[in-house]
This record gives sequence, structure tokens and C-alpha cells, in this order.
Amino acid sequence: MPLLSRLSSLRRNLLGKPRVERDLDAELRAYLEQLKDEKIRSGMPRSEARRAALLELGGMEQVKEEVRGIRMGTMLETLFQDVRYGVRTLRKNPGFTGAAVLALALGIGANSAMFSVVYGILLRPLPYADADRVAMVYMQFSPQNFERGTMCIADYLDWKAQNHAFQEPSIFSIQRMDLAGMGEPEQVQGALVTAGFFSTLEVRPMAGRVFLPGEDGAGSGSTAVLSESLWRRRFSASRAAIGQTISVNGSAATIIGVMPGAFRFPRANTELWTNLRIVPPARRGPFFYRGVGRLKPGVTIELAQAETNAIGRRIMQENQYYKNLTLPVERLRDSIVGNVRTPLLVLIGAVGLVLLIAVVNVANLMLARATTREREMALRLGLGASRGRLVRQLLTESILLAIAGGVAGLAVSYGSIQLLRSWNPGNLPLIEYVRLDGPALGFMLLTAVITGMAFGLAPALQGQRANLNSTLKEGGRGATAGSTGRHTRAVLAISEIALSLMLTVGAGLLLRSLARLERVTGGFAARPHEILIASVSPSDRKYDEAPAFRRLYDQMLERASVLPGVAAAALSDSLPPDWQSDADTFVIEGQVLGHGELNPAVSVAIISPEYFRTMRIPLLKGRYFTDQDRQDSPPVTIVSDSFARRFFPNQDPIGKRIKQSGPDNQAPFMEIAGVVGDVKYTGLQRDTDAAYYVPYRQNFGRRMFVVARSSQGAALAPALRREVQAADPGVTITQVETMQQAFSRAVARPRFDTLLLAVFAGIAVLLAAVGIYGIIAYSVAQRTHEIGVRMALGAAQGSVLRMVIRQGAGLAAMGVAVGLAGAFALTRLLSTLLFGVSATDPLTFVAAALGLLLVAVAASLVPARRATRISPVDALRYE
Amino acid sequence: MPARQTNLLQGTLDLLILKTLALQELHGLGISHRIAQITNGTFQVKPGSLFPALHRMEEAGWLASSWGESENSRRAKYYRLTAAGRRHLQAEADEWQRISIAMASALQAT
Repeated sequence: MPLLSRLSSLRRNLLGKPRVERDLDAELRAYLEQLKDEKIRSGMPRSEARRAALLELGGMEQVKEEVRGIRMGTMLETLFQDVRYGVRTLRKNPGFTGAAVLALALGIGANSAMFSVVYGILLRPLPYADADRVAMVYMQFSPQNFERGTMCIADYLDWKAQNHAFQEPSIFSIQRMDLAGMGEPEQVQGALVTAGFFSTLEVRPMAGRVFLPGEDGAGSGSTAVLSESLWRRRFSASRAAIGQTISVNGSAATIIGVMPGAFRFPRANTELWTNLRIVPPARRGPFFYRGVGRLKPGVTIELAQAETNAIGRRIMQENQYYKNLTLPVERLRDSIVGNVRTPLLVLIGAVGLVLLIAVVNVANLMLARATTREREMALRLGLGASRGRLVRQLLTESILLAIAGGVAGLAVSYGSIQLLRSWNPGNLPLIEYVRLDGPALGFMLLTAVITGMAFGLAPALQGQRANLNSTLKEGGRGATAGSTGRHTRAVLAISEIALSLMLTVGAGLLLRSLARLERVTGGFAARPHEILIASVSPSDRKYDEAPAFRRLYDQMLERASVLPGVAAAALSDSLPPDWQSDADTFVIEGQVLGHGELNPAVSVAIISPEYFRTMRIPLLKGRYFTDQDRQDSPPVTIVSDSFARRFFPNQDPIGKRIKQSGPDNQAPFMEIAGVVGDVKYTGLQRDTDAAYYVPYRQNFGRRMFVVARSSQGAALAPALRREVQAADPGVTITQVETMQQAFSRAVARPRFDTLLLAVFAGIAVLLAAVGIYGIIAYSVAQRTHEIGVRMALGAAQGSVLRMVIRQGAGLAAMGVAVGLAGAFALTRLLSTLLFGVSATDPLTFVAAALGLLLVAVAASLVPARRATRISPVDALRYE
Repeated sequence: MPARQTNLLQGTLDLLILKTLALQELHGLGISHRIAQITNGTFQVKPGSLFPALHRMEEAGWLASSWGESENSRRAKYYRLTAAGRRHLQAEADEWQRISIAMASALQAT
């Protein structure tokens, strides 16, 4: 039967149901008419004939039903046959099947794991009603220039007064809160929020109530809402908790309600919300607050942005301090996932490439196998199998493979998601929503079937093209077999190399960027693992007074300093890499500024005199602080190198005088006593290091770190904690860790992205190597005869080796050329993730290209050596 | 028709259809007439058995069908043997001979 008609019958049964039905109907009607004609010819009256014919047919519908049943039955039967046969052939070739299933499992598994992550984080609806209508409002202005900057109470009041776009503008600030008054004091993640905060998000408490309108007034009482986790932990989920009084940051607050566990805002680990009491402020600042609001019905986010722009301009007109002020509006989800979107999209693109490579690899394997099966196929054709049937058989086999790969991939994906969730090294937001569920499984099934079709189609079509006669004739001698097949396979191998080169370049760039980032020192010479940091938070109100505060910290410092093994100890409220406790503007004595003009805000650190020596921060000029810099001595300050260069270019800063904040500040000027090296306080990737230091005896901070240097490093942590705690058992010590731990936390995210991309690239290179190996090994097997003849004619082993390797290297070179072009076009997508490395870093490109060439040559080496061992006698006799 | 006979008859019917189509292509009515003719009226194939059999054999690739014109110029669907159908007929006929000889000798044995 012609292939076309056979295929079209298959298509009719599968897709063209109505056509099959029409055809059957027509056939039976024609039969009926013929029967009627016959009866009329034999003398029956016309009306009688029709009835008799119908009677003889025995009911049109019954016959149709029977035919339908039969068709369905045979279709299923051939399907089962194909499946049985497919399983048998796959089991007979465990090597091929194993390689293919492994490649697919890695490709499909990694993809569905990444898909789950992307779905859970970027696509799944947030657990708030109509979350798309909720937006965050930030404030950005010079000289601060923080992208998602904060506003102050006065700005909030201006915004609220002029707002029309949002239902109820709310603000909140995030802070660690010290919890006491119910056993062991502890520090939890908290948020200070205005009364409309919960109703904006349309969330209901699981017990008690949330803040009432007006509960953010200046005179309202202090109230607190607990998270479900805190409620269970501290109150054993007792209803009696509501109405109880707890101590939050040293002042009493009444518990009014409990939020369900699904509510995780503004931070995933927020456990306590207290009411922010709006007191109309005397001046602009401090800038602690971010806005959140629900758009009124019919208001788009663009409209809201236009309104806040206008409000921003008015605020700017009235306050000369602000430059370039805007109030950016951003959808809630974007604000939650903002900085992980790019890395996630890059990773999902990368993992897509891995799947593509896996598919290409399996297609290549299938093609190679199809060629060795050409005789089988030709034989079956010769015995009368239709070509359509063979195509169906091959497709069934590849879909079987894909499903096996998908099932194995399920395990890979489940495992990697569990690993990701428990590990969450990148502090991904919303990670708790990442799981293998309906959409992810659907995605996986779809991927498996599509990939099965994709890599099954090429060999199926090629097999279908095969010419019966020539294949049977040349079947034994593979030397000339399937030149088109070889061509296709070469193209596939080249694309594998190209794709994996792109991934390798991407991973290489991230690796180099990470290496740069990890080499960034905080600006201090002490070894990071020798610096111990105790985070201390005195929650008791009595420490709000400077004398009590100083007594507490003096005692802690004294105890830490005399601890055996401690070389030096100090206090500071700011630490590298990113604990900037305060940034403020300042004025220089004698500096003439325009109206409303201020110097930019820089980091301000309050430290004890030993800080620089403990951290080994170099003194460049002048002197360090000493114990003589006391409250009753003239105020002094020490500035960083960047500060000196920026604000005192070509001058000696020593002896110059500055003071904090605006010109209305009545505090006396501080004399610059020294210049020290730059230290990173705002993150390793930032390069603004301007900072000045003030002695803790002349200034006052609320929370400070106790820093100790010891060659024993982390081993000393328990002792340090004990000593610091001994100063006052009521003080919360949140953690004691080494500077190294703090640094590795700062690079955790980039390291996570890099690690994943490197793993993907590794898989890709492995697959590509297998691909090259497969194609060269196959070609050597095909050319056994030819190589045998060459060697019989005197070709040296070395020249045979070179010939085979040249083939592999040639493929690799082409792949590398294509891949380099692709990488050049693609890596710019990475540029926002890179630190200190250009997206087209030549070293990375060259290294990756050479690396892949090397891998390709290595992969062809094994079959090449096999080729040199071909015995001419055997090769010729083999024919 | 009792169910017990159906299975036996299915193989028989297939063989008869293949046999009738071996010489020429025929439409449904033609096939049932021809079967009645060559079996001397022993088998009267009803449409309820004929059409399912035809479609099943077409699915199996033994028959192919196409629309044509009948003797008295009506549209009719014609069936013909494929190469596979021809081989199948050969194999089935041989098998039938073997079985019928075996059955005959078994029934004659005492």
C-alpha cells in the first residue's frame, strides 16, 4: 500500500473522526441503495424494496457501532504491539537505552525543577486577594540614590494628602524587634505598620483582630499582631494570648491578633507587626518607610505612577534638600521577586539549553542506531510492513524512551527541589511555594512527549526515506551507507558543541565574577576567620540612657578583651561587608553651600578606640582614637581615605572640622584626627567607601557589635557569647559568628547562581562529549573496512589516529565557531549579574573555547585508538 | 448466531473475504454475493458481520479501499487486496488446509 494512503488512514483515525464517520455513513448508504436497486430489479415495489433492504442491513447504527469498535480495537492492538516491540528492542540495547534515558532524565529533570522554581516564585499567584492591584511605593532622590529607597513620615503625609490613586496609602518599616516579658528574651523580624496595612493586603487574622482605622494616631496605645509561628512557639497557640501584654523593644504592647502562616509580608520571616504611631515630625527624616497601597478600581499602575510623579515634584519644590525626587510605583510581586527575576530567567534559559542538548544527543544516538537498523527496516519493508507502520514504530520507541527519561527525570527533579528548599542558599523569596505540583508535572509530561517526538522524528523520517533496494544491497558494507544520515549527525554534533560552549562561557563569566567578588576584601587586614562578631541588642529601656548604655558595653568589652585567646576586642555599630548602621549628611566648617544644598550622605560608624587595631584597618595619616577621646574632651572624628580624597582634594584633612547632618544641627564641630583605609559597609559590590568614624565615648548608638580577634576563630565563639551575656543576662545576643561567615553570606546568592549555571554547563559539556564520542565511534565502526585497507596499504598507526581525531576536532571547531557567536550575542543578558568582569571577557571566551576543543579531542581519542588497533586482515575478512 | 460460533467464523469469514478479493476488487454487496456464490449458498454474510470485518482487515493492512462507481452507476466503496493481504491469504489458506485435514482425519479415527 502506498505510504501516503497508509499514513492518511492513521491520521483519519486519530484526528479526522468526523471524516471517518462521514465515510462510513456514505459507505453504508451506498450499500443500502445497491441492495434496494437489486430488489427493485427482481420485481419488488419501490416502497417495499427500501424497507426490505433496511431490514436486511439490520440497523444502520448497530453496524456503525460494530465498525467503530473494531477500528478502535485494532488501533489499540497495533499500539500495544509497537509498545511491546519497542520495550523489547530497548531492553536488548541496555547501553544505548541507558545513555539516552540518563541524558533525558538530566535534561527533563533539571528543567522541571527549574520550572517549579520559576513557577513558584515568578508565576504563582500571591496568597493575597487581587494581589495584582497592590503596589509598593518607594522614594528615590539625590543625594541618597537608593533604587528602592525609603521615605520619611513627612513625605508619607504629603503623599497621603494628595493621593487619589490608592485606596488607603500605608507605610511600614522593617526592623528586628526584641521580644521580652514571656520567658527567654528573643529577637524576631518585625514590622512597624500603619493602621491600613492589613486591609490594603486584604488579609484576615486567624484569631483576634488587626489594627483599627486610627490606631496609628499619635495618642493610640501600643498593640501587636503575632504571626502564627510566633503564636505557636511562644503561646502554644493559646487563644488566651490575645489581650496579653508583651515587651517589644523594651516597651509594653498588647497582643490583639494572630496572622495565618501564609501571610509573609513584608519579609518572609516577619513574625511581629506593631502599630506605627504617626507623630507629625519636626523635620524631614529619618527615612525608614516604604509605602504600600491598593489601587482604586479602574486605576492603572501607570496612572498611579503619574500621580506620584506629580506629588514627588511638589514635595521637591517645597524641600530644597531633595534633588531628582521620584516616588517609583512597583507591583507587589515585582518588588518581592525584583532582584531574582534576571538570575532566574538566565537559569531557566540555561536549563532549556541543557534540554536541547539532551534532545540533540538522543536524536544523534537514535540516528546512529537507525543506520545500523537500516537492514532490519528494509527487511520489514520487504516483508510488507508499510512505511507508515515503521514510522509509527520508531516514534513509539522514542516516546517510550522519553517517558522513561521523564520518569527518571521526575526523581531528579524531586530530589533537586527538596535540596533547593532545605538549602535555599540564595535566600530566594517565596521558596516555600516551590514544589512539584500540577503545573510542574504537566510541564514535565509535555516536555517528555515533545522531546520524544522531536528526537524520534529525525530518524523516523530518515528511515522512511531509506531506499529499499539500495539499502538491502549495500546493507552489509556500511562504508557508503547513509551519507545524508552522517551529514545530519554532524550538524547535530556541531550544534551540541555550540550550545554547550554558550553555557560554558556563561558559567565561566559568572565564575570569574564570583572569584572577583570573593577576592574583595572588606578593607581590613585581619583574617576574616579570626574576627568574631557578637550581635548584641539591649532591649531594656534603661539602656536608652547613655551612662547605663556605656556601662553595659564597657563591661562587655572588658570581659571580651581579657578572654584568653583574644588578641584584641572592640565595639562598633557598623561592620563590613554590609552592616551600615547609619548614613547621614554632614557639613564642613567654612564650606559655602547653596540654599538647601547638602553634602551627600556617607556612612557613619560609632566605634571604640581599639576597633581599627582589632580589624587591622591601616592608618594613613594622623592618629587613631584613644581612651583620651572622652565626653569631656574636644570632639574628634576619623575619615576614610575616599572621604578625604572626595571632600578635601589636594588638602590635608587633618585638623579640618565637620559635623553631622544639616546646618540646623547645634552640635559642635568635630576635628578630623586621622585618615584610615576604606572599608566596605554597604556591600561588597558597591564601591562607595566614603565614611567617617566617631568615638563611642563621645556619641551614642543603640546597638553595637562586640568584635574580637583571635587566632582560635570560631572555636572561641561559645566563650565569647558567655562572656558578653554575663554583662547582663537580660540582653539579647542574636548571634556570634566569624567575619568569614558574614562574607560568605554576602556572596551566597551569586555563588548559588554560579553553582547552578556551572552544574548546567557541566552537564552540557558531558552530553556534548558523549555526542562527539558517539559520532566518532560510530564512524570508525562504519569505516573499519576502509581503515583496514589503508593500513594494509601501509598507513601508519599515527596517521590513522590523526585522521580520526581530525574528524572530531573539525566538528568541534565548527561547533566552537558557532557557539562563540551565540555566546557573544547571549552573554549580555548576564551583564547585570556580573561583578568586575565584562560580558564579553576575552579570557573566558578563549578558555571556554579551548576547553571544549580539548574535550572534543579527548572524546574522539578513545575511538581513534580503537581505529589504530584495527587489524587489516580481520577488517578485510570481516566483509 | 450463537456466540460460540462467532470466533470460529471470524477466521473463516476473513479467509472467504480474502479469497473473493484475490481475483478482483469488489464493493461490500459484491463481496457478500460472491461469498454466497462460491460457497453454494452455505454462507450468507450479513452486513453486521461484513462491514466490521472489512474495516478490521483494512486496519490490519490486508485490504485497501477506494471510492468507485458500481455497475448501475452508483457511488460505492471498493475493496482490494494489498501485498500483505495476499501473503496473509496464502498463509491462512495453508493453515486452513492443515487444520481441515487434521480435523477430518481426527473425526474419521475410531
